[in-house]
Amino acid sequence: MASSATFSTLVLSSSFATQCNVANRHHQSCFLSSPPKIPIFSIPKPVSLKLTSLLSKTPTFFTIPKSSESDAAVVDVEPDNVEPEPEPEAAPEPEPEPASVVEASKEEPKREEIFAVVMIGGRQYIVFPGRYLYTQRLKGANVNDKIVLNKVLLVGTKTTTYIGKPVVTNAAVHAVVEEQGLNPKVVVFKYKKKKNYRRNIGHRQV
Amino acid sequence: LVDVEKNSLFASSFRGAHSRLTRTITQQRIRALVSAHQDRDMKKRDFCHLWITRINAIIRGVGVSYSYSRLIRNLYNKQLLLNHKILAQIIISNRNCLYMISNEIRK
Repeated sequence: MASSATFSTLVLSSSFATQCNVANRHHQSCFLSSPPKIPIFSIPKPVSLKLTSLLSKTPTFFTIPKSSESDAAVVDVEPDNVEPEPEPEAAPEPEPEPASVVEASKEEPKREEIFAVVMIGGRQYIVFPGRYLYTQRLKGANVNDKIVLNKVLLVGTKTTTYIGKPVVTNAAVHAVVEEQGLNPKVVVFKYKKKKNYRRNIGHRQV
Repeated sequence: LVDVEKNSLFASSFRGAHSRLTRTITQQRIRALVSAHQDRDMKKRDFCHLWITRINAIIRGVGVSYSYSRLIRNLYNKQLLLNHKILAQIIISNRNCLYMISNEIRK
């Protein structure tokens, strides 16, 4: 059931600004995570949800992030300051998801140089471009669906970080649902000693 | 697999008589399943403890009389939503980022 999706395509989107605006406006936590809980970040589940996270930020920074080594201490993006940060980079980011597989791609020219913290289904994940992620089931997410995650709590590059209060403005992560499935079975065994009480229940989280 | 075989297969990696004698196999199987059930919840607690300890250790190096509790209080005041897991992960992967966050919060 575990399908390890490979880093297949690099989606380079040039017009991240427009995408960002569109993505930001239209999608606002439209999907819910259904019951199945997905494992911790360290435990990959068979179902892989590829989330292609496109990290797009319309506000431009006063300095280009890559060249701002001196801005190591500079942090956060205030909603008031419109500082567009050009980060056109889209890398497929697989997200293993017992329920759905989403491939995440961030809009970044270079992979692995940016990361974001995204909240999906009440849980937070650190997301890199082009990496898989396993999350809970998203309602209404079929295979090969493009998902935009707007609840981005933190965006970080090597030199700068954008802290959300609570959400970073104009940041979106695009993801592609790769697969939907169930977790391996877990046996829930309830037992009380000397009271003749035993219940054997199997459970597969979505 | 017959049920008896399933039973003994479950306990096949147990030590000594616990994998050889059928009565003890059933007993140990029950205890193992119950432990697994409990520990699935304990796992969440354990990890939270671990993250808190890590965050505390790093935060105390930031400044005089700066501690985990103050960090969390500042987090709440500034309405940040990062949870402990993410904070601990940021600490070990990208220490710089965490310093930025804490500086930002302290203001």
